[in-house]
Amino acid sequence: MTLNPYFEVLFTAVLTIGFIIVTSLGLGQLARFIARQVGASKRHQENTFTGYAFAAPWIVGFLIFVIVPLGYSFYWSFTDYRVTENTPPNWIGLDNYARLITNDPGFRSSIVNTLYLTAVGLPLMIAVALFLAVLLNQKTRGERVFRMAFYLPVILGFNTAVLLAWRLMLNTGTGIINQLIRALSTAFPPISYLNRGIIFVQELISALFLGISSGKFTLLNRVWEAGFPAANRVPMWVESPLWTKMSVVLLMIWGCGSMMLIFLSGLNNIPRELHDAADVDGANNWQHFWKISFPLLTPYVFYNLIVGLIACLQIFEPIYVLYRDSQPLVPSTISMVYYLWQASFRNFEIGYGSAISWVILLIIMAVTAIQFMIQKRWVNYDLY
Amino acid sequence: MRTVWHITKRIVLYIFLTSASIVMSFPLFWMISSSFKTLEETNSPGIILWPAHPTLDAYIAIFKNIDFLRSYFNSVFYTSLSLIGTLASVAVVAYAFSRVKWPGRNVVFFLMLSTMMIPPQALLVPQYVFFNKLHWIGSFNPIVIPGFFAGGAAMIFLLRQSMAQIPVELDESAFMDGANHLQVFWEIILPLVKAPLAIVSTFLFVGLWNSLLAPLIYLQTISLYTLPVYVSTLYNINSAVQPWPTIMTAAVLTTVPLMVVFFIAQRYILEGVVISGLKG
Repeated sequence: MTLNPYFEVLFTAVLTIGFIIVTSLGLGQLARFIARQVGASKRHQENTFTGYAFAAPWIVGFLIFVIVPLGYSFYWSFTDYRVTENTPPNWIGLDNYARLITNDPGFRSSIVNTLYLTAVGLPLMIAVALFLAVLLNQKTRGERVFRMAFYLPVILGFNTAVLLAWRLMLNTGTGIINQLIRALSTAFPPISYLNRGIIFVQELISALFLGISSGKFTLLNRVWEAGFPAANRVPMWVESPLWTKMSVVLLMIWGCGSMMLIFLSGLNNIPRELHDAADVDGANNWQHFWKISFPLLTPYVFYNLIVGLIACLQIFEPIYVLYRDSQPLVPSTISMVYYLWQASFRNFEIGYGSAISWVILLIIMAVTAIQFMIQKRWVNYDLY
Repeated sequence: MRTVWHITKRIVLYIFLTSASIVMSFPLFWMISSSFKTLEETNSPGIILWPAHPTLDAYIAIFKNIDFLRSYFNSVFYTSLSLIGTLASVAVVAYAFSRVKWPGRNVVFFLMLSTMMIPPQALLVPQYVFFNKLHWIGSFNPIVIPGFFAGGAAMIFLLRQSMAQIPVELDESAFMDGANHLQVFWEIILPLVKAPLAIVSTFLFVGLWNSLLAPLIYLQTISLYTLPVYVSTLYNINSAVQPWPTIMTAAVLTTVPLMVVFFIAQRYILEGVVISGLKG
């Protein structure tokens, strides 16, 4: 049956609404029936009915779109299921996981690349967000405009269109960013040294990470032996395996606006009296920040760290838009989700893709759990 | 002396903030400026902040491009349909979590919060197989329908926090007058949470409009492509020359709705209502 796709989805939507209403009433009735059986009061029965009926869309959706899929993918992760073939899945035990951990250079690269983003990108992102928040907290005129300018990138986010604008700007030869770096380096020699210093350090770190993921450190040696970059060097943003991840970090820093808002609300919650008292003691701005603001902001740093970490683990769009199919670059930049997409929806290895999904899920849960365990050592909740 | 020092500090602060704003908005400016350039200008090694002779060629060409126009319509269509369904169901569920006392509420609420830890990508594979069984691949169904089941735990949480702050006496007096829960929800509670609703709609809209992965997997044919998927095909990774003016024109037109929504909703978002539930 070929139906106009727009009418098709409208039709399905109407059916879905009907389904939701029926299941809501059903779930509500069931809950009321149970409440009556255990001998609840009339009013309590009514509340039970209303509560379950109103919450039913989420409960039913949770079962259909979360619990059942998780169960199936857990089963499939132990099979060789491929969606393109009509054969039933064969049980292969832990083979998928064994292959993933011991014998899959692609997955290994994706883990190391994610590690780079969290180890290099996330601290930079949090630092810039905190810096902007402290500046904005000085009660300036036109604060609204500045806030808008800093938050706008969050809205534009990882939209394909915006990513392509970045791609144009990051061109090594003709891109505006490198043109500005060249112009500034020629005009002010100190900037040239700064630029080359940053290039050197970045390439060393990047080569180290590439070495970890491939097991061979020849590239790191080459960068080290090449020594301090020549005067005409510029970053090779999206064109060299040494720079592909840094381009993504740049995008992350650009989108630090939501973290900034969280820091701003944290700064607003700091009691004014603390700063007044410090003024009496003759504290300078530096001391104000490190002795008062920062310790009280640690819960917010922690929150941003968790949210940022989870976001790092889920990066997909920049990798797909900027680097997909570009063979020499892909291993240097793929993220875990990109790798999941590649295995599941390019090669249609559902069994293997399910194993990757579960590993990602476990990593995210483990990371969050570890963060919550170690936060007591450095996060300060005392004054709240 | 102290005032001179003070004024200098303020000036430095403003210079910093202004240049940071310029840096942050520069990609947007560059996108717009490049859409008025010729292909030679976008590839030229010089710094052309604004083309000497702005050309509308790329705009004229893209309005004749039927694939682009259709993907624009597809994006508007799927975003609005999914937004309506998601918003309605999220509001209903938030009502259940804040205004009704029922056994098991806390358990279900805790379950809902814990789903925020599950990355949606981890569910993609089994959901794909499920939709494949329903013969939904190659239609809008998989990217629209799941939202109708109150997709988005964070949005439910945000609305619940706002609804919970409304005094209970309001509902009680309405119930005295013989109103039922649906009436209280529609006539009393919803009008009082307009600002949070605006925020939730903005976030939902932005998420749907920018979404790439799910449309990429499920739509399959170019006649169904949404904007992010279509625009990504304009850029050919392995080709040496890219049609930059065309791509940037498509990019400008793609971001216009985002900008409009942001300018309407910014006063709600930037006031930080979003994070009111964070503390504690």
